[in-house]
Amino acid sequence: MGKHEIRLRRQRMTARGADRFRNFGAVMERHEQEMRIKKIIRVFTLFAVILILVMLIIIVMRVEKKQGQKKSSVTTFALVKNHREPFLYKTDLH
Amino acid sequence: MTDDEIRKEQEIIERSKKDVKAFGEIYEKYFDRIFNFIYRQTGDEDIAGDLSSQTFINVLNNLPRYEFRGFAFSAWLYKIASNEVRKHYRKSKTKQVFSIEELKVRELVEQADDGWDEETVQRLLNYMNDLPTDMLQVLELRFFEDKDFKEIAFILEMTESGAKMRTYRALDKLRQNFNLKIRYNG
Repeated sequence: MGKHEIRLRRQRMTARGADRFRNFGAVMERHEQEMRIKKIIRVFTLFAVILILVMLIIIVMRVEKKQGQKKSSVTTFALVKNHREPFLYKTDLH
Repeated sequence: MTDDEIRKEQEIIERSKKDVKAFGEIYEKYFDRIFNFIYRQTGDEDIAGDLSSQTFINVLNNLPRYEFRGFAFSAWLYKIASNEVRKHYRKSKTKQVFSIEELKVRELVEQADDGWDEETVQRLLNYMNDLPTDMLQVLELRFFEDKDFKEIAFILEMTESGAKMRTYRALDKLRQNFNLKIRYNG
């Protein structure tokens, strides 16, 4: 069996069959409805993209802030350590 | 279609891009043709009606993106209609139907020696059943819709030479198998 089926029609195709479905008003209505939905989807997508971007910026800023805090505490520790070592070294000499 | 007719149609399209109501003229002009084109590929009036409406809705939705490409606007309409038919069969997972008018087949095929009898018709149907679907689509557009090969290539998204090759192959087989004269000279 093939992928299609051939049917032979004895009667001629008339415009009457198509007339039953001819309705430009309904087509216009559906088109306007689809355009409205498209617009809503577009606005929603734009809003979602902006929201994601803002969230990403906030996350990046928080991570940077945390890393900054960690760095400054490490530096303070290093300074304290470097300050004590020469002092201890001197006392050992005596 | 003459160049003047194509130009006039193009003016309506440009007007329709600004005011969709202007598209009514195009809708009235092509609705029957698109309906019949889809009906030939579905064999069901209700499905053909639904798909025709969907075709015109898609056309209206995409009208701002339409660009003149050297041939009639109808080629674009047929392309969208053809895509709708393809989508319908993909969804329904049923066999594609080709509902052909006997009269049209008689117009295409001119008897050589034997008379046109039921057996020949049946043999012809069997032969067409064995043809690949894309070959039948090309034949349908060429003989029932009177489209030239450039338009067929655009509608079915294939090359012009591919469309020509499919037609000639199908007709050659038809000539050999049925001893028929075909009113077709390319």
